[in-house]
Amino acid sequence: MTLSEGARAGTRELEMLDSLLALGGLVLLRDSVEWEGRSLLKALVKKSALCGEQVHILGCEVSEEEFREGFDSDINNRLVYHDFFRDPLNWSKTGEALPGGPLGALRAMCNRTDLGPVTIALDSLSWLLLHLPCTILCQTLHTVSHQDSCPPGDGSPVGKVHVLGLLHEELHGRGPMGALSSLAQTEVTLGGTMGQASARILCRRPRQRPTDQTQWFSILPDFSLDLQEGPSIESQPHSDPHIPPVDPTAHLTFNLHLSKKEREARDNLTLPFQFSSEKQEALLRPRPSQATSHIFYEPDAYDDLDQEDPDDDLDI
Amino acid sequence: MAAVATCGGDAGSAGSAVATASKSNVTSFQRRGPRASGTNDSGPRLVSITGTRPSVRNGQLLVSTGLPALDQLLGGGLAVGTVLLIEEDKYNIYSSLLFKYFLAEGIVNGHTLLVASANEDPANILQELPAPLLDDNCKKEFDEDVYNRKTPESNIKMKIAWRYQLLPKMEIGPVSSSRFGHYYDASKRIPQELIEASKWHGFFLPEKIPSTLKVEPCSLTHGYIKLLQFIQNIIYEEGFDGSNPQKKQKNILRIGIQNLGSPLWGDDICCTENGDSSHSLTKFLYVLRGLLRTSLSVCIITMPTHLIQNKAVIAHITNLSDIVVGLESFIGSERETNPLYKDYHGLIHIRQIPRLNNLVCDESDVKDLGFKLKRKLFTIERLHLPPDLSDTVSRSSKQDLAESAKRLGPGCGMMAGGKKHLDF
Repeated sequence: MTLSEGARAGTRELEMLDSLLALGGLVLLRDSVEWEGRSLLKALVKKSALCGEQVHILGCEVSEEEFREGFDSDINNRLVYHDFFRDPLNWSKTGEALPGGPLGALRAMCNRTDLGPVTIALDSLSWLLLHLPCTILCQTLHTVSHQDSCPPGDGSPVGKVHVLGLLHEELHGRGPMGALSSLAQTEVTLGGTMGQASARILCRRPRQRPTDQTQWFSILPDFSLDLQEGPSIESQPHSDPHIPPVDPTAHLTFNLHLSKKEREARDNLTLPFQFSSEKQEALLRPRPSQATSHIFYEPDAYDDLDQEDPDDDLDI
Repeated sequence: MAAVATCGGDAGSAGSAVATASKSNVTSFQRRGPRASGTNDSGPRLVSITGTRPSVRNGQLLVSTGLPALDQLLGGGLAVGTVLLIEEDKYNIYSSLLFKYFLAEGIVNGHTLLVASANEDPANILQELPAPLLDDNCKKEFDEDVYNRKTPESNIKMKIAWRYQLLPKMEIGPVSSSRFGHYYDASKRIPQELIEASKWHGFFLPEKIPSTLKVEPCSLTHGYIKLLQFIQNIIYEEGFDGSNPQKKQKNILRIGIQNLGSPLWGDDICCTENGDSSHSLTKFLYVLRGLLRTSLSVCIITMPTHLIQNKAVIAHITNLSDIVVGLESFIGSERETNPLYKDYHGLIHIRQIPRLNNLVCDESDVKDLGFKLKRKLFTIERLHLPPDLSDTVSRSSKQDLAESAKRLGPGCGMMAGGKKHLDF
């Protein structure tokens, strides 16, 4: 790969992660059993850490060692890890676990004092949805992700807040999924065909049309992203790929179109009522004196003026 | 007459009564009004509040929804004391636009506003209202629009129907002086001085309820209780229900509630089918309607009904509201690319119109309506489907015609009825 190609691939890679992180707010990563999303979550975490943001991780589903695996040491030093996997109900009572569980940790992030940009990765949001009431979780997520829209009293700029939530689609019904989708600013659904992973990205900008695009990618072992073109063979049939728009005038038994010569001939045709343009102008000029309308009758050649009244033989 | 003349009491008042009786020589009935009676507080006068007008059908007081096209479909406007429920479209773009038109109409008419929301600060909502189109500018802009649309055809002089050249063109723009129902420019913001001159109250749920409150199970969700109390306080304190005698001019309270029923209000009706608080939304609507009927107020509610899992609840909600309008936008659905719907941005369904003091409601016979958001106008039009001409029309559009025919009323002709197509 030449230098320019590498640079271009690098910029495209940046575009995808940038577009996911551009809007701020809640980013939902919906994965399934076949196409897992934790590696994309880690890629986003790595990108945020490299940008210098503060990164908090709420680890509920996998252990801390497993999550930190694959990151190099400087990234690992920047991550602030809240571990709720080892002792979720705080039975060991060592005092190092945060009070209030993961919900308390989220609420604590609502009232943070430093105002730089921050990324909060929830691993996973499914775990939280299964252990907490959906409404409380939605309200807390909304408060956390919209902190930047309520500036504090002293007017200092607040950095953007990104909340990355990993959601396993198969664990939840349509209700909670719909509720969380309506809250999310960006929604990434992972899928793919034939060994190629794809991400369908739906961005909801406020008061604008949502944008929907699909991106094929693969994640390298060091959690950087490699963008790819889609698979060469379109295996799934599209509903309406190349059918031209239906022309209702296509298969008629009569002709609806006029050629140029026919159009000229039509224009030169004299109309059945002999009419000159002067008379037309005279009639079109509005005449305020006349309230009634006139009928101008000019008999043509075929008209037969019969002096006899055909109604004569009626006995009226 | 005799009783008046001989009644005891004040001689002065008896004298004046006799004097007025003798002046009205035809009948003993006296017209009640400021000139006939001497006292300040007379009987019921015709209430004239800015921005309202009586309905032509039954004299009910109506206000405008902010969209003259919607007013026409609802029979002239929104009746005072009723609830307009808007079923949101999937991405909440057009329903929030209707919500803003309603509030902007309130500001332009000088009504008091009450804005309640769980996800956005009401002050921010008010900043984003569309600017009203003033009379002198808008006519020019509409003529421009009309001209742009008709440019290709206007060069052809009419050859056969030449007498129609003299007829004036059809007015499709707004009537120049319309005091009921204004037009708004969705691309511009409302001027700041109009917002400051208006009176409004905001209810932002995260401020009213601290998030660490322990929620105890009760029949009505905590957020709803707070909202009802807030509305009741405003109605009582400002005298919209006649409790405090209003010395100044009577006014209308316009209440706008955004995204009611979403999880941000603390209601789990969108999350589960049979939750703990499955009746709290219906109770809220019932109490709200009671508050509205006894005061001079109008309410608009937007609700994400596409998220509600239990369909029976949607039926209850429809019954408890007065006017229900559903919006269905084509964004993201397969209908976006369908040539049948290419001129429109979505469909609008009028699901219910109330019968207020009436046996018959003012339903229009047009049931299939589409809307589109042009540069400045939000128009609602009757859907015109092209005729199904030949057999070689591709299957997808034919099936879609059948699907859409199921929703059509009889107003669209029986051409595409049912899945089997009979070509005549």
